[in-house]
Amino acid sequence: MKANIEKTFEVNQPIEKVWEFLSNPEKVVTCVPGAKLTEKVDDTHYKGTVSLKFGPVAASYNGQISIDELDDEQHIMKISGKGMDTKGKGSAGMVMDGQLTAKGPDLTEVGYKMEISVSGKLAQFGSRLIVDVSNQLADQFVSSFKAALETAPAPAAEAAAVREEAAAEPKDNAVNVFALIIGVIKAFFGRLFSSKPKQS
Amino acid sequence: MIKCKTSREIGGMGHPIKRKEDDRFIQGKGHYVDDIKLPGMLYMDIVRSPFAYAKILSINTEEALKVPGVVAVVTGKDLEKYNLHWMPTLMSDTQMVLPTDTVMYQSQEVAAVIATSKYAARDGREAVMVEYEPMTPVIDPFKALEPDAPVLRTDKEGKTDNHIWHWEAGDREATEKVFASADVVVKEQMHLPRLHVVSIETCGCVADYDKVNNHLTMYMTTQAPHAIRTVIALVAGHVGLTEEKIRVVSPDIGGGFGGKVPVYPGYVIAIAVSFLVGKPVKWIEDRSENLQADSFARDYHITVEMAATREGKILATRFKVLADHGYTDAAANPSKFPTGLFSIGTGSYNYDTAFMEADAVYTNKPPGGVAYRCSFRVTEAVHAIERITDRLAQEIGKDPAVLRLENFIKKEEFPWKSPTGWEYDSGDYHTGLQKAMKVIGYDALRKEQAEKRARGELMGIGISTFTEIVGAGPSRQFDILGIKMFDSAEIRVHPTGKAIARFGTKSQGQGHETTYAQIIAEELGIPAQHIQIEEGDTDTAPYGLGTYASRSTPTAGAAAAVAARKLREKAKKIAAYLLEVSEEDLEWEPGKFYVKGAPEKAKTIQEIVFAAYTNHPPGMEAGFEATHYYDPPNLTFPSGAYICVVDIDRETGEIKVRRFVAIDDCGNIINPMIVQGQVHGGLTQGLAPALYEALVYDEEGNILNGTLMDYLVPTAVESPHWETGHTITPSPHHPIGAKGVGESPTVGAPPAIANAVVDALSHLGVTHIDIPITPPKVWKILKEKGVV
Repeated sequence: MKANIEKTFEVNQPIEKVWEFLSNPEKVVTCVPGAKLTEKVDDTHYKGTVSLKFGPVAASYNGQISIDELDDEQHIMKISGKGMDTKGKGSAGMVMDGQLTAKGPDLTEVGYKMEISVSGKLAQFGSRLIVDVSNQLADQFVSSFKAALETAPAPAAEAAAVREEAAAEPKDNAVNVFALIIGVIKAFFGRLFSSKPKQS
Repeated sequence: MIKCKTSREIGGMGHPIKRKEDDRFIQGKGHYVDDIKLPGMLYMDIVRSPFAYAKILSINTEEALKVPGVVAVVTGKDLEKYNLHWMPTLMSDTQMVLPTDTVMYQSQEVAAVIATSKYAARDGREAVMVEYEPMTPVIDPFKALEPDAPVLRTDKEGKTDNHIWHWEAGDREATEKVFASADVVVKEQMHLPRLHVVSIETCGCVADYDKVNNHLTMYMTTQAPHAIRTVIALVAGHVGLTEEKIRVVSPDIGGGFGGKVPVYPGYVIAIAVSFLVGKPVKWIEDRSENLQADSFARDYHITVEMAATREGKILATRFKVLADHGYTDAAANPSKFPTGLFSIGTGSYNYDTAFMEADAVYTNKPPGGVAYRCSFRVTEAVHAIERITDRLAQEIGKDPAVLRLENFIKKEEFPWKSPTGWEYDSGDYHTGLQKAMKVIGYDALRKEQAEKRARGELMGIGISTFTEIVGAGPSRQFDILGIKMFDSAEIRVHPTGKAIARFGTKSQGQGHETTYAQIIAEELGIPAQHIQIEEGDTDTAPYGLGTYASRSTPTAGAAAAVAARKLREKAKKIAAYLLEVSEEDLEWEPGKFYVKGAPEKAKTIQEIVFAAYTNHPPGMEAGFEATHYYDPPNLTFPSGAYICVVDIDRETGEIKVRRFVAIDDCGNIINPMIVQGQVHGGLTQGLAPALYEALVYDEEGNILNGTLMDYLVPTAVESPHWETGHTITPSPHHPIGAKGVGESPTVGAPPAIANAVVDALSHLGVTHIDIPITPPKVWKILKEKGVV
């Protein structure tokens, strides 16, 4: 079961500051929902865990993250990760390509493509929802990432939402299930009703 | 109209009497395996593989054993000590009971947790830690045959590829010759996707091993209790469980449809655990386990070709099949028929040349290939022939009904020898199709279609005129694991003229308790309501191979008639003795023998039976009992003419089945109400694969619709109003002229619906759409063709 996600967003910060944050796994991992690093193997290899809970399926993955490419000049990176469910219920993998583009002295565009693959129970139960779930996770990442970097208060409501979300996160850093489900339901119905009116 | 020979009181053949068994079913008083509770009973749950193909590095049971109530965790290594970690399949392949090192498909059994309650067992299951090393699975059956594909069955000595078997029927050279010189050749490639039978009751058992008496009672959801007893004896005989020590009981069954023929690992594990701990062990699958791990049906990739003259005379057909069997060949076909009765695929048409070949492969998917409401791969064959016949009609611009009427085997040409070697016993295809056309108003529908097409509306009419092959089967060809496919009936009439009859078959909703009683009532004149029918207990029922593939009426139903006739012969002797006349002077009418020319001098069957116990003729054995093992001389060949009308929404691709007329010919009818019920259910199960159902796997072997949230089973809401009817062409060789009906509608409906949808789109150049035909599929076609 695979899901592809492509997103771009802008951060009100100079490109070098964004790059410094993004290219440091120990910093960026704090923005990945449910993730934490447990061990640094070397400069490009890390071990970590990701905890996800979705409906009846709780999954905790133990895995490795490897930085396959890091181009400080072009601001291009490629990261891959794969992990096994700690209870032997499946596995998950991810390949991410990221690129930063300077849009102004204090404005940086972050673009990334992700391919997420899951096997096992999550793939079975989540096949209909996996894209939506992944999108929600990606959106949470963006919010946290922006919140962590942007000192200037961006739209107040959004920042507040991010703080609320962060506060609601359970201690074990598992993903906020309720917010996730609401988001997925919204996305689903959004799709249902957003089709264009018929052309006659 | 059906003519009845017996009175309503006797209730013999043809009477629409209500099903006796429904009294308990509709009151919730059915007794199923999960209703069985025995003292000290333990519960089993099964840890299943999340991966389609992986090495098992370790199984850690420590945490599971700490769960309150968990008494044991059983792994393949445990079973290996007793050589119970593998078992034979019905197709003489091998299958793991529990793996010792490798899992071969997602949801495969990995370990079993035994506990004092089912909740503790489930908690224990969650606590078992299994470490896997996933490998790249082989999911696509075509890729499985490529030279660089990894060999999956490394457990089979000397295996160098994933090929299981090759099968052929008909004449290859003659067929090639006809195809080379024919005016018209049409060809389509189709996939009959993996389906699941989705019976309302899942599979399960209670294994009760009595250590003191070395005796196993196995309550289980099986369609073939006797065959299962023999299989258990073959698998477990070496540990002392010989066949006389085994009793298999199949209580009420909530739907089988072929899915309860195979032996699943769960049954064997439950037996092994009960044997080892000396306590009863219950195992009941949940819905997802049932859908994900139990035997699938279909999964045939078929290339079908038809050669014909320009005028539309069918000359020859050619079929090439790739069968995806998953991890092991666990189909439930007769031993000599790896593709089941697929060779019926030449259809209802009169031509003499055909060739069929099939190859089967292993993949990392669940094993199976059961006959889902289908006489062993007949559904696949019928879909191919009925689709390609429509394709020919489209190619030469002839009405598909006319093309069929011109090519049908004529009534007087039976018995008819098919190009693949079957002898069709009887049929009247012209009458069936003409009746269906009249009921539905075929000509008016074609006119309406032409008008709608001119306005841009999408409407289609689909026909399927199938020939079925059921009642396996004659012992010279048919066996399962060497056991011939006869079936049996034993009738005991008590002194007061009431009877009990036992059979080697097993009803799963077919209504045997009613229909078998009607057959005996027809022959003996004892009222059907006073004939009790029992099946499913190997300690009491005579040996038989069970109920599937519409075989019960053709085999056990025939056995009942023949056994009853033996008793009628005895009754005649007793009546002659009582009336002091010679046997030749007696006439039979249902319920009594009377003296020719003096009908007032008569003895009722009840008086005769009483005499058999109280005043039997000197030299005659007392009692009134008979048994018969019926070995059919041929199979029976039911047929049907189905016509379906669909309307398609050109904006959304949504398909609405507006009308569906099903005219079935199952020979003489035992109970028209039960036949109608069977046809309604079967048509709905034919609608299912046509428009909704298919088990979908991704390239990693994950099932993507392993719950009923995602696997779409049609309900009453999706089902159209079924219009049913019949023609009657009795089987000439069957004792009561019956042919069997259970599976006809499931076999015949999918091509009728598919043909209707293709017909609605044929003017756009569409020649074939694989089932299930979903709205997105149709919408995509409409978009491609510029209609949307």
